Amino acid sequence: MIEKSRISSFQMAIMMYPTILATAILLVPSITGKFAERDMWLSPILASSIGFLNVFLAVQLNKLYPKMTLIEYSEKIIGLIPGKILGFAYLFFYLQTNGIVFREYGEFVVGNFLSKTPMIVVIGSMALVCAFSVRGGAEVIARSAQIFVPLVVILLLFIFILLVPDLEPKNMFPIMDKGIMPSFMGSVVPASWFSEYTLIAFLLPFLHDRGKGLKWGFISVFTVMITMVVTNMSALFLFGSITDSFTYPVMSAARYIDVADFLQHLESIVMAIWVAGTFVKISVFYYALVLGTAQWLNMSDYRTLVLPLGFLLVIFSLWTAPNLIEMVHYLTTTWVFNALTMQVAIPILLLILGKIRRKRGTKVGSTRND
Amino acid sequence: MIWGSILGITFVVALIILYEWPKLKQGSKKEKATVVVLTGAGWLLAVLLVFFPEMPGPTDVIKAIFQPLGRYMEK
Repeated sequence: MIEKSRISSFQMAIMMYPTILATAILLVPSITGKFAERDMWLSPILASSIGFLNVFLAVQLNKLYPKMTLIEYSEKIIGLIPGKILGFAYLFFYLQTNGIVFREYGEFVVGNFLSKTPMIVVIGSMALVCAFSVRGGAEVIARSAQIFVPLVVILLLFIFILLVPDLEPKNMFPIMDKGIMPSFMGSVVPASWFSEYTLIAFLLPFLHDRGKGLKWGFISVFTVMITMVVTNMSALFLFGSITDSFTYPVMSAARYIDVADFLQHLESIVMAIWVAGTFVKISVFYYALVLGTAQWLNMSDYRTLVLPLGFLLVIFSLWTAPNLIEMVHYLTTTWVFNALTMQVAIPILLLILGKIRRKRGTKVGSTRND
Repeated sequence: MIWGSILGITFVVALIILYEWPKLKQGSKKEKATVVVLTGAGWLLAVLLVFFPEMPGPTDVIKAIFQPLGRYMEK
């Protein structure tokens, strides 16, 4: 097998937590707020159903083909040539999505902190760091996630606790004033973020305790959902109906913190959360892309592909959109359907076809399924 | 400025190839070809983007495919 190191399912869960959350806590509250307004805290709960579905699909597919990733079993399920085409579509999707993640990171850092640094420097340095962790393999990414994620959670809690005196819970009333529809519409964009749980299809073959994969996957989705609910609630309680006019509501909330004229300018903490989280997020996407490409080309080692693909990623990040506004518009409209097709609809089809294939295989008694 | 960017891109690409070369030497022909093609494609894209920054990108492809659905999310 191409990847020699093994990770535990707990490590997988801890890797996936920032993979969804890192970008979701900054851009998504404002997008959700635009559709759901006062019910924006309900949207992540509705959206998480997609996350649970995706974990279930990935685990079921992994049960059919335990030692293979998405790229490999799509060839087995729908045949060699269609499988290669689908694999290319997935690789292209991950290349572009990872480019967008890089761009979100670059826009955030340049827009809020390093306003005079060229974007290419910010993105390029992150790409280099991530390339080193991807070269190390799944285990290295998992271990760096184990170090960063507890820090991220503690810092997030710190921000929320300091915000408590300023919160106005009455902002959320009346609940479901206009029915369930606004919160449902608001949940579509977070759902596309939750659909990124399909990435565990690239990690499941390397678990040494695969039996616990489903349990830890669900726990991971649940913690992401809770964190998103808390983030949206704190933005809503603080800003009320104007939440959607901020690009980064959590960032603006952190700027707002002022304890006894002493504890101020805590946005640097959000920056720390963001950089650490995005590092893990990009590494997981990058890893899936590199591993998938190596398997798509039937190569024996994926390490030599890391740097060339990293270079392509940096180009894609600058190529995807001319500016932040257009990128956010793209993320809320067409990308949603792109992500849901690639990461929800196609895995469902693959699972159905795989099950049919498995049934036929056992009836005839062929050795196709070994 | 344009030629500076191209020089920078070429420098990065050369560094990538130099860094990978010792490992690639032992590898098969296929691996060498893959790395060279990927890095070459990256170089070509980067240079094209320096000359035509407004070149239609992957986003436009996705937009063209999913536009009818994307309209539902306009607000």
